[in-house]
Amino acid sequence: MNPSDGPAGDELRELIDLAPAYALDALDEFERARFERALPGSPELQAEVDSFRAIAAGLGDDVAPLAPPPSLKAGLFDRLDSAPQEQRAAGPAAPQGRADVAEPAPFAPAEPVRAEPAPVADLGERRSRRRLAIALSSAAAAVLLITSVVVGANWFGPNGWGAEREMSTIAAAPDAQQTTAEVAGGGEVTLVSSAELGRSAVLVDGLEQLGDEETYELWYIDESGPVSAGTFDVPGDGETWRVLEGDFAPGVVVGITVEPAGGSEQPTTEPVAVIQT
Amino acid sequence: MTHALLSRPAPSRKGRPGGHASVMLGCVVDVAEQPGGHARALEDLLLATAAGDRDAFSLLYDATAARVFGLVRRLLVDAAQAEEVTQDVFLEAWQTAARFDPERGAAIPWLLTLAHRRAVDRVRASQSSRDRDLKVGIRDLDVPVDDVAEAAEIAIEHERVAEALTSLPAAQRECISLAYYGGCTQSEIATRLDVPLGTVKTRLRDGMIRLRDLLGVTT
Repeated sequence: MNPSDGPAGDELRELIDLAPAYALDALDEFERARFERALPGSPELQAEVDSFRAIAAGLGDDVAPLAPPPSLKAGLFDRLDSAPQEQRAAGPAAPQGRADVAEPAPFAPAEPVRAEPAPVADLGERRSRRRLAIALSSAAAAVLLITSVVVGANWFGPNGWGAEREMSTIAAAPDAQQTTAEVAGGGEVTLVSSAELGRSAVLVDGLEQLGDEETYELWYIDESGPVSAGTFDVPGDGETWRVLEGDFAPGVVVGITVEPAGGSEQPTTEPVAVIQT
Repeated sequence: MTHALLSRPAPSRKGRPGGHASVMLGCVVDVAEQPGGHARALEDLLLATAAGDRDAFSLLYDATAARVFGLVRRLLVDAAQAEEVTQDVFLEAWQTAARFDPERGAAIPWLLTLAHRRAVDRVRASQSSRDRDLKVGIRDLDVPVDDVAEAAEIAIEHERVAEALTSLPAAQRECISLAYYGGCTQSEIATRLDVPLGTVKTRLRDGMIRLRDLLGVTT
């Protein structure tokens, strides 16, 4: 990521003010997702986080150690076979070496494999949300696996683990809604949105893979017209997901168009899918 | 109680089987004993783990599990949940060891960062905030300060953190403790203390900046 894309001015100052709370894991999920979106673009912010992480880890190391039961280790090693390891970005790691890890930050923990929605009062609602969260989580995990193998470990980026965390957060929001629409040319798109969080994400399945010349572009469309919400490409299996850039508000229309690679300022083709919210 | 990263080999290290450590501020060297008495730095074990070395991972686990479990258990009162989370933390360490960069920090802070985040996520996912408030309320929020650590020659990073914490104004210390040891968000702290959110943010920020200054951590 180009540092010039990172936060600046008032936004950077505000984020730097949040860095201590972030390092203490005291931000709520949405604040955290927002913070982590900005983190890769700002070495200054990353340095702040690293310094406060060192303090937080000192607090953690001050807790009296407690030996876990021996069965825990046995259970752990039983799980290793089905737990693929991320590979270093800079080629095979030398066990004693100091191979470069390009991104992410050493302190960025990974997204939990299972997404647990926050408890809600209504059991039916909880069940349906749980199903959704699990579906999203496994779809995302499948994509992640592919992405990790192809481009190496990636916390950041549109399908990074940070984004996956945000996706889970949206799906687990108490007011999460999902809407599915057909895509012209085959496949379907599901929009998951939370008015409370002001965020949404799409999960697509069966979409046609575009060549190098073209990309899918997402749009938030309201009275004032379409605003780009980012681009995405689909792998060979036609399945991927993407958290939309920008704020979601109920009533907005989400559109998908096919645009020249890199995306467009304004749509240049008819949408292949339109979702009313 | 002594649960320090001592600056010299410690004769007894209860609860930290198989490991001893030496520390200079900013340069932590934890080591794990191997059969045959050959010791390896935890950082090397973590790097070897990234390459799929299960023996290294096993040594790393033996040397660090008690610290990880201790922290997780502090945040999660329920023992079964704490065990589950601890196992998840190590599984995550196994899977993401490639992200560890020894140039930017030591193995223990890296593991504890994973552990804290996982534990906090579990706390928030599995308990209502009311339950959590009750739980936090009945527990000692002050950092356990080691009486023995007054000895000046024991240069211990985390004990220095604990000591620096005691020098903060009580209000700042309380907020940092509620956040880190209580697993509370800023908003939850504000509700719990019945003070404005902005006040909590300021206390956390000022307190952490003061700790950083006291400990001479550079950005």
